[in-house]
Parts: sequence; structure tokens; C-alpha cells
Amino acid sequence: MTAALSRSRPAARAAALAAALALAACGRAGDDAVTLWHAYSGDERAALEDEAARWNRDHPERTVRLVAVPYDAFADKITSAIPNGNGPDLFVYSHDRVGDWVASGLLEPIEFWIDGDTAATWADDALAAMAYRGSLWGLPLAVKSLALYVRTDLVAAALTTTDELFAMAPGLRARGVFPLSYPVDDLYGHAAWLHGFGGQTLDADGRAAIATPEAVAAAAFARELVVREVVPRDADVALTATLFNEGKAAMAMSGPWFQGDIAGGVPWTVTTLPVVSATGRPAAPFLGAEGVLMSARARDKDAAIAVMLALAGDDAAGRRARRARQVVPNPRAYDGDLAADPVLDAFRRQLDASVAMPAVPLMRAVWTPYKNALGSVVSGASRPADALDRVASEIRTYEAP
Amino acid sequence: MTSTPPPRPPVRSALRDAAVAAFALWLVLFTAFVRHRNHELADRERARAQAAAAAVAAGEAPLHATSALGVVLPAEPDPRHPFLARRAVVDAAGTRALGGAEAPAADKLLYDAAARFDREGPFVGLLTDGSGRAVAAIATPRGPAIAVTAPPGSPAGLPWLMMIGLLGLGAALVTAGALSGRGALGVGAGLAVLVVPAWMWGGVALAAVAGGVAAAVAVAHGRGATERLAAGLIAHRVALSFLTPAAVAMAVLVLVPFLVGLVIGFYDHQHGTWTFVGLDNFARILSGDGRAFDDPLNFWFILGVTVLWTGANVLFHVVIGTTLALALRQPWLRARGLFRVLLIVPWAIPNYITALIWKGMFQGEYGAINSLLEGVGVGGVSWFSSWATAFAANVATNTWLGFPFMMVVALGALESIPRDLYEAAEVDGASAWQRLTQITLPHLRPALAPAVILGSIWTFNMFNVIYLVSGGKPGGSTDILVTDAYRWAFERGERYGMAAALGTIIFLILLLWTVFGTRVTRRTEEAP
Repeated sequence: MTAALSRSRPAARAAALAAALALAACGRAGDDAVTLWHAYSGDERAALEDEAARWNRDHPERTVRLVAVPYDAFADKITSAIPNGNGPDLFVYSHDRVGDWVASGLLEPIEFWIDGDTAATWADDALAAMAYRGSLWGLPLAVKSLALYVRTDLVAAALTTTDELFAMAPGLRARGVFPLSYPVDDLYGHAAWLHGFGGQTLDADGRAAIATPEAVAAAAFARELVVREVVPRDADVALTATLFNEGKAAMAMSGPWFQGDIAGGVPWTVTTLPVVSATGRPAAPFLGAEGVLMSARARDKDAAIAVMLALAGDDAAGRRARRARQVVPNPRAYDGDLAADPVLDAFRRQLDASVAMPAVPLMRAVWTPYKNALGSVVSGASRPADALDRVASEIRTYEAP
Repeated sequence: MTSTPPPRPPVRSALRDAAVAAFALWLVLFTAFVRHRNHELADRERARAQAAAAAVAAGEAPLHATSALGVVLPAEPDPRHPFLARRAVVDAAGTRALGGAEAPAADKLLYDAAARFDREGPFVGLLTDGSGRAVAAIATPRGPAIAVTAPPGSPAGLPWLMMIGLLGLGAALVTAGALSGRGALGVGAGLAVLVVPAWMWGGVALAAVAGGVAAAVAVAHGRGATERLAAGLIAHRVALSFLTPAAVAMAVLVLVPFLVGLVIGFYDHQHGTWTFVGLDNFARILSGDGRAFDDPLNFWFILGVTVLWTGANVLFHVVIGTTLALALRQPWLRARGLFRVLLIVPWAIPNYITALIWKGMFQGEYGAINSLLEGVGVGGVSWFSSWATAFAANVATNTWLGFPFMMVVALGALESIPRDLYEAAEVDGASAWQRLTQITLPHLRPALAPAVILGSIWTFNMFNVIYLVSGGKPGGSTDILVTDAYRWAFERGERYGMAAALGTIIFLILLLWTVFGTRVTRRTEEAP
């Protein structure tokens, strides 16, 4: 009997330990700090940590605690943690998931706290990107769109129209150089031309508007870019960086993150995308706004909105732009050296010709069919109108009945 | 060693059986109680909010305590930002504006409820902040009348007295049954008392389940099945205690996710809402979703591609693996160990890295393969523009990844073939070809057959190569079933139900294949 008992004791101890661990994992931290989840790394993380430290110094009574969560798992963790009461009070994410989270009741509408004067802090488009179904769900911290990276040793004059792009192809191709590189079958890059041709992906009511004459013209344009060897046929993001660095692509369409991929010694600058000659409208890439959002389960909402306003405010935005080179949507933050920064300036100007990526959940079902269609158009396997008709009919089957 | 345990007194064993079953039933009942109580509480709060809103609309004071109430006047949208609307509320104290950085928290509830009223019309529901409060808005000529209930008090506790009384009554019935010599009847009757709370909290369905459990335990007890089970557990307690950790880990890591996956297949998920749809997902998949058979999104097309993909790969794996294994056995080969290591390298590199390298090699303008083709005067191929070339690119990558496994298996099997068979064959004057087909290959078959089954299951579900190399190009036509399931889950609006149903179908296909393959293997092994 004693032997049996002593044998069972380690097991009992292990069980008790496991139970204690489970309890500790379930229990919430007892303090009143506002918890903020983010997926930043590198300079962006450092800049955010600086802001949090500054806030905590000024507001010791209601501090903010940062939790870094890996980007891959971020959206899923938010989706599952908030309804169970284990989620953060605030979190940083791009605006295109807002529609999903609003539909699931995870987000707190914040327009109650924001009046017209406060709203003037941010560029209209950036703030509008955080709105969905007539309410405001977050404050924008940074905006991301594509712009045109140019190798100044290969392209002398600034590119203003797409006709010039085609015109420079023969000369550059003779030297083995593509005028432009970007993932030609990916809707994210293609959207610049799509909007430049007057097309769209979803209409104002959030319904798919795929097989329109404008979209057909834009797809035919993409095919033309490949046929006339303006862009390489199947360049992905990594190959675009390689071609640009090796001087085999004179220009690259990419976002602020591309700066880190450019090799030292490459002479480059950033400018806005050209005007689509066929329509006279500027190519307009998707605008992604990264914002700080409030959980519907936030414990102290007054403290949470105060933290949000501080993080997205002009002072913090100026510091984040300097430290992390974020393109902040705060027009008043650009003073002194920031106003003179050519890269930030180019991305800011590109914002004027950009289209906020739809936050409607349906948008997430558009990417893959559209990519397939662009692939088959570019390779010549399908006519643009047929390919886009297929996209439209495929998306219809994914729409809620 | 194990001796038959002495027979237990009938009362003790009847009580034990009833107690074990009652404990399990009690856990189910407890869950049902909590659900039932929460539903009732939510209904009560919603009714209170609705009544309070009606009182506000009629200009009366509400009966129950509220957190906030008033009639919210129509919104004045901000001219620059239509989503920033100014609102004002009329309540007993007069009219005041809602909103601003310093406004009280209760005003925000009114403001948000008015915004929701503008979108959806009259509504009643629980707040999403987890406080248990309900909010209701009803239309009045001036604007929505809104009421938010005060936080509810602590919810009702489990009726302990009733539960203890029922369990005591059950125990008495069991004892009486056992003493009167009708143990099974006593166990059944003792458990059947739990049907009452089951019916109260879970409705007829749960009551039927409880009755069924009671009957099943009674029958099992009457037939002595529980007695044998208990005796077995006691006799093998040491072995079982060693098995328990692994069994628990398997249950948590394998069995539970598997069962959850099975269940999800019967639901439809869209934008955070789950709906039970029965077999609809399976019907939709198996009917090809109304698409033509040559449509790359039709299940049967994808299944065809998957089978072709699996067959081609396994064929190449076996042929190349066996050939290399035979070559490594040749006596004239020098530095055999070095070659063996080199040939295993593809297996040792993580397969997604290999897949990405091959994808780069198949790239159109700058890929190594097209550069080679152009070097020998053949024009470059746009690998991912047509089905055949994209499929070939996938197969080439996976062949590279898969042959070392078959080679290692074949090498091991070759070592075990007795030398004297070859010597005897040589004495009899058999040619090299005869030795290969009459001795080597028949001896390889028993070792290769299970490897082929295993390899085909791996290849059938080889997500990495398909997703990373061709990515389904062109137009999704090189997707296999697992990558299609991935697209349902993550690229088509999070249709987890469809993905799970597809997962179940994949499981059933592989289950059939394994059963079939095991039979064939056994026959091979039994063959002389």
C-alpha cells in the first residue's frame, strides 16, 4: 500500500504542477495596464517601444504594456483570443481585416471620441481606410502603398506616362535590361493599372465588380507589358529585388519595405507611378493603412483611447517617421528634415493617387482567382474578357448566399 | 501470473458502476446547466432592455435599473468624414451632445447603439464587452429610444441540494436493486433519475441520451461486462499506468483535433458565423460544385490530378531509388560511402527549401533550367504557363525529394538477401538479368511494398511542393486536394467547413488506400 502511494506521488505532483500552470495561463495579469499587441520588428518595434516608454513615464497611473506577437499568427490569435476575454485591449494591424473583425463583433467603434478637429490630424484617405459600415474602428499609424523605384544610372528623365515606358523598352532591352519589374500576375501590383484605367475590384457597396470594360483594358495592358518586354514575365518580389540590384531592371514597383532590399552602391530614387496614357489618369496602387484598433472587450476604454490618440498623434508620428522611416499619415508631422526627405515625400505624393484596399471580407476571396486570371492573360492562354468573367463567376460561388 | 480477482460483493460493484456512469453524466449535465442558465439570463436581460426602451419611448421611467437610456436624435454627419457623426440625446435631464474625448462611458453605449440602429433598424442584443448587459433600440418619431440594462447580479448557482438528493436517491435504488438480486435493474433505475435534470436543462434530446446511457450501463452491468473491464484494469494497472501519458498525449494532439475536424465538416463558416449545414459541404464537393469536369476547381478534376501526381512520383521514386541502390552495390564502385551520403542529401534538406530552389530554377527568364536549354539551342520554356510543363516541374521537384527514401529502403533490403542464393544461381549458370529478376526484385518486394504505401500517402498530401513550386498555376489546374483545402480555408473567405469536409474526404481516400495496400503487402509477404 505504501509502495503504491509513494509510486503515485510523483504523478500527483506532476498533475498538481500541470493544474497550476494551466491556472496561471488562464488567469489574466492582475495589473491595470493597457495591453497592446503588435507584430513589429526592427526599427518599427524600437520606435513603438520608445513611444510606450514615453507614455509610461508621463502616465504612471495607467501604463501601457506591449506584447510582440509573430505576424504569421497575429490575425488568428486576435480572432480567437478576443471573444474568450484573453485578447489585448489594443492592437496594431492593417485595415483590410477590419471588415471581418467588425462582422465578428471583435472591434470597438471609436468615432464617439473623435470630433472633426481631432480627425484633421490624419490625411482623409488614411482615416477613411479605418472606417467600415459607417463607423470608425481605428486610428492610422502608417500607410503603405506601392511607388516607383528608379535606378538613376539607367533612367535619366523622370517617367511620367506609360507611353514613355513602352518607348524606352527597345533601347533598354538591347542592353539586356527590363524597363520595369514587379509581380505582373499579382493583383496587388496590377491594381495600380486597374485603377489607372478607371476600374475597381469591389464597388461602393462592397460587391464584386470584376469583369468591367476598364478591368479588361487593364488586363490587356498587363499582357502588352509582357509581350513588348517592358516587364519580365514571372518576376516575384524576390526576383524584382535581384533584377533591380543587378541592373537588369531599370525600375521596380514596390513599397517602402523595398528600401531594405536595395544593395549598397545602387543609385536610386523613388517617385510616383506614371499616368496611364490611354486614360490620362494616374496609376493608383492600393493603399494599406496600418492602424491601432481597440478590442470590444477592452477593460478601460477611456485609457485605451488616450493611448491610441497619443500613438497616432502628430508628435509620436514625427518620431516614428524619423526612427522607423514609417510613412505616417499626419500632414502636420512633416516639418524640418522630414519635409525634405525625398523618399517619404514620394510616398506621400503617391498617397494622393491611391485607392484604399477594400476592408470588405469578400476582398480576401478575390486575390487568388484574380492572380490565376492575370497569369493566363499574361501568358496568352486566355483573352482578358474571358479570364475576368471566370474570376467573377468563381467569386460569386464564394459569396455568402 | 495474473490470478482471477476474488468475486466482489454485488452491492459494491453495482454502486461502482452507477457512480462511474453518474459522474460522466453529471459532467454533461453540468455543461447543460451552465448553457441553460446563460440562455435564460440573456433572455431576461434582453427582455428588460426591451421593456426599458419601450418605457423611454413612452416617456416613462423604466422598471429595472439601467446603465444608460434616452432618445438619440438623428446624426449630423461630419462634412469631411461621413463616418464621424455628431449625435445628441434627450433624457430626463434634457438634451445634451454625445461624444468627445472626455465624455462619460455610458454615453458611448447610447452613441454606438444609435449608430447600430441607423445600420440595422430596431434591435435588442447583449453588449459585446462581456459585461452581460443588454441593449435595446426601438424606433420613435424623434429617433431611436435606447436603453442599456445595469450589469446583472451573479448568476444562479448549481442546484446542489437537488443534485445531491437525486444522486442519493439513485444510490438507494442501486443498493435496493443489488440487495434484491436484480443488480442490473437497480443500476438502470438509479441512473435513470438523472433523466429529470437532463430534461430540465437540455431538453428531450439530452434526456434521451441520459436514458440511453442508463440502459446501456444496466445491460453492460447485467452481462458482467463492467466486471470484466474492472478486473482487466486492475490486473494490468502497471502496464496501463505506463501507457497513460502517451495515450493522453495522443488524445490531445491527434484524436481531439481529428474529431474537431470531422465535426467542422458539417458546418459552414462565413465571417465568424458558424451554421450547421449537415452534409451540404460534402454534397457540394462531390457534385463538383456545378462545374464542368475539365474545370480546375471541380473536385473530380483535382482528384484526377492528385492521383496522377501520386502515381507519377511514386513510380519515379521506386525506379530511381532501386536503380541507385543496385548501382551502389556494384563491386566496381569506388567511394561508395561518399556517394551514399551525397544521394541522401536531398532528403536531409528541408523540403520547402528544396522546393523554393527548384522554383527559382524553373523561372522563365533567369532560371537555371531555361538557361541550360537556351545554352543547347532549345528555346526557353515558360514552365508555369501550361498544365503539362507546370505538372512536370512539380514532379521533377518531388522526385528529387523522394527517391532517397526508396533508395535507403532498397539498400537495407538488398543487404538482407542471402549471398548463397546468388552463388547457387551463378553455379547454375544464371545470367545477370536472371539474377536480377529472379532473386533481387522478388526479395525487394516485401520491403518496398510498405514503403510504397507510405510514400504514396506522403505524396498524396505533399502540400509544400505544389504550393511553393507551381502554386497551382496555371489557373489552379496543378492544385492537389490538400492545396485546394488550404485555399478553401485561407483564400476563399475562410470557409473552414469546406476545408474540413475536404480533409475528411482525403482521410477516407487514404484510409481505403491503406487498407487495400496492407492487404496487398500481406499477400506479398505470405507469397513464397
